[in-house]
Amino acid sequence: MDSAQYAELFLTESREHVSAINHSLLELERGVGGDEPVGAIFRGVHTIKGMSATMGYTAVASLSHELETLLDVVRRGGSTVDARLMDLLFRAADLLERAIESAVSGVDAVDVLPMIHQLQSEAGRDSQTFLSMAMTAELPVPGMGMGMTAEMPIPGAWTAAVPAGPGMLVRVRIVEGTPLKGVRAFLAVEAAKKLGEVGEVSPPVEALQADAFDHDFALRLTTELSRDDVIAALRRAGDVDEVSADDAAVSAPLVEAPAPTKATNGSSGNGGNGATNGGAVRQQRSVRIDLRRLDNLMNLIGELVITRGRLVQLTGPVDDPALAETVAQTSRPVWQVFDRFPRLVRDAARSVGKPVEFTIEGKEVELDRSMLDEVGDPIVHLLRNAIDHGIESPEVRREQGKPESGRLTLSASRDRSAVAIRVTDDGRGIDREKVLQRAREHGLIDASKTELTDEELFRIISQAGFSTADKVTDLSGRGVGIDAVHNRVRSLGGSVDIRTAPGKGTTVTLRLPLTLAIVRSLLARIGDETYAIPMTHVSETVELHPQIMHTLKGREVLMIREQVLPLIRLRQLLHYEGDATRGLEQVVVVEMAERRAALVVDALIGQQEVVVKQFDGVQNGLTLFGGATILGDGAPALIIDVSSLL
Amino acid sequence: MSNTVLICDDAIFMRTMVGDILQQAGFEIVGEAETGVQAVEKYKQLRPDLVTMDIVMPDMGGIDAVREITKFDPNAKVLMCSAMGQQALVVEAIQAGAKDFVVKPFQPSRVLEAVQRVLG
Repeated sequence: MDSAQYAELFLTESREHVSAINHSLLELERGVGGDEPVGAIFRGVHTIKGMSATMGYTAVASLSHELETLLDVVRRGGSTVDARLMDLLFRAADLLERAIESAVSGVDAVDVLPMIHQLQSEAGRDSQTFLSMAMTAELPVPGMGMGMTAEMPIPGAWTAAVPAGPGMLVRVRIVEGTPLKGVRAFLAVEAAKKLGEVGEVSPPVEALQADAFDHDFALRLTTELSRDDVIAALRRAGDVDEVSADDAAVSAPLVEAPAPTKATNGSSGNGGNGATNGGAVRQQRSVRIDLRRLDNLMNLIGELVITRGRLVQLTGPVDDPALAETVAQTSRPVWQVFDRFPRLVRDAARSVGKPVEFTIEGKEVELDRSMLDEVGDPIVHLLRNAIDHGIESPEVRREQGKPESGRLTLSASRDRSAVAIRVTDDGRGIDREKVLQRAREHGLIDASKTELTDEELFRIISQAGFSTADKVTDLSGRGVGIDAVHNRVRSLGGSVDIRTAPGKGTTVTLRLPLTLAIVRSLLARIGDETYAIPMTHVSETVELHPQIMHTLKGREVLMIREQVLPLIRLRQLLHYEGDATRGLEQVVVVEMAERRAALVVDALIGQQEVVVKQFDGVQNGLTLFGGATILGDGAPALIIDVSSLL
Repeated sequence: MSNTVLICDDAIFMRTMVGDILQQAGFEIVGEAETGVQAVEKYKQLRPDLVTMDIVMPDMGGIDAVREITKFDPNAKVLMCSAMGQQALVVEAIQAGAKDFVVKPFQPSRVLEAVQRVLG
């Protein structure tokens, strides 16, 4: 069979296991969950071992075998879980991950031998590598088990001692190189037991089970069956090379032999046979689908949504949950990305010598698959920033009366049709003075400015290359911080918001749309054109009555429930000539990350799901729009990028 | 009519591979289980001609699952799928009622031989 076709499956599944292993290692280190973490790590490593051996990935198989052996020792309480052991396990897990990647890609071969030796000496065994036996089940297994390996057997010769006692002398030779030949021999003995009374077995069954024999064994069998029948029956035990049954040795009187027992297995009469399980077993099936197919499906669904829009215009509203379900299929729970962060935070915190308590909230919140892939890096940036710059050293924290361990929280929550991802630390907060000073040095702001609002602060630190770090560390401070995060998130149609308080900490919020492709939008008209405003950002609509309009510092504002909102006239912004023709203009209150504005349009048309088509190349001046869509009547509409207005 | 098979393994990779081997040999895969508990439930529900059973699975291992399945149906035909170095566990599985075993890495011919012996 061509193993290559399984490589992708192997990689996906192994990655999941490595992620789970890391998760359990962290639990083990923290001492939570009792025996379960070790058991879980053991199972994960064991599964990887089986898969990699099947794939012929020797390095991965040997490494996981040794790791498994050590874990078994740990599981049985033979090794204390201390910092040194944890360090070894973490390093082994890292190497395992690299070995998996390199085995599949075929590049950067990883040398696993040093680690194998370390694992072996930790497990307290002499160096006997799995390498020789792991791959080719066809090869003989050298020196496994205990003793009895001294002499080379002469091919074809029976080596087992003749067992004493009455009955037919039966000799069985297991095919050389049979994996787990001891179990195979055990099966043959079991098969013999069904033929009659088995007397002495040589070597004894216990030795056979432990593989401590040289391919052949002998037993005494008292049976009524003929020699040929016995041979035929034992051959069927599988992997039997040769069977001999020696009638001449039959000296015991056959009459005393018990009747051959019927080949029933196990106990009968245990309740439950008759009672068929009437209750339906709930089946949960999952399938793995090629991403390209899924993307194609999404495109087709997009077309369907457009067509539905057309139909709705003709016939009235339709609400089809099946459509929402299909869209949901492209969503994935955030833990698929979040799960690797505890390990990352641990390592990062260690490398700067700051104890950090890391918690993750809202793991089950779902996000569009393609977005989930993209959002990992920005979150890594934020976590590293928090550890490197946000959280103070234990000494400083103690002086300030804070707990020595810094608190770092990553949370995901559903927020209407958006997902909010927050990274919160309880560190020193962003130093406004320092930002102000750097900003002046770089000429980013007016030199006379002495204070920064949150918005200004955010705008400055979002600029490419801006860093207040005194020194560049391994982790961050290279000036690829917030600006990279901001760009990435914006390209996904999301927004970034920062709240920081000196001495108390910083919260960075990433707000992402649930899906990239289909957005529920409010359609508004200006002149003859239709514009779509994503509902994610619409908080309410009101009519533009003159009595709610005011002027503040020379700017038009709107007063809604004692809130002052800046007024943005889309008509002016888009350079339309003249005024709205009939009736009252409408106001769409848009919000994003706690910022709000009042958007004035000519008229409102209604809500519709629109399929976002991204612009191929964004040119200057198009920042106002996040894409375009085709409406039900076939007319195009531009989608307004609310973040650019605020 | 082709023989029906229930495949029990916590790794999708392994289930796929065993499934492919058996399917190509004309078997009908009627179900898959990821845990021992699922394996027992699905056996009772599907009554397959053959069960392939991984030893190490979360939520009830393969050996306990064999025990439960054999208790329910003494004639159940279970083939253990084991890894290197698990002889003691395979012996235990056979004592629990498993009929034969194959050792990873799987070779299609060996799997099919073992299957034939079990169904024999």
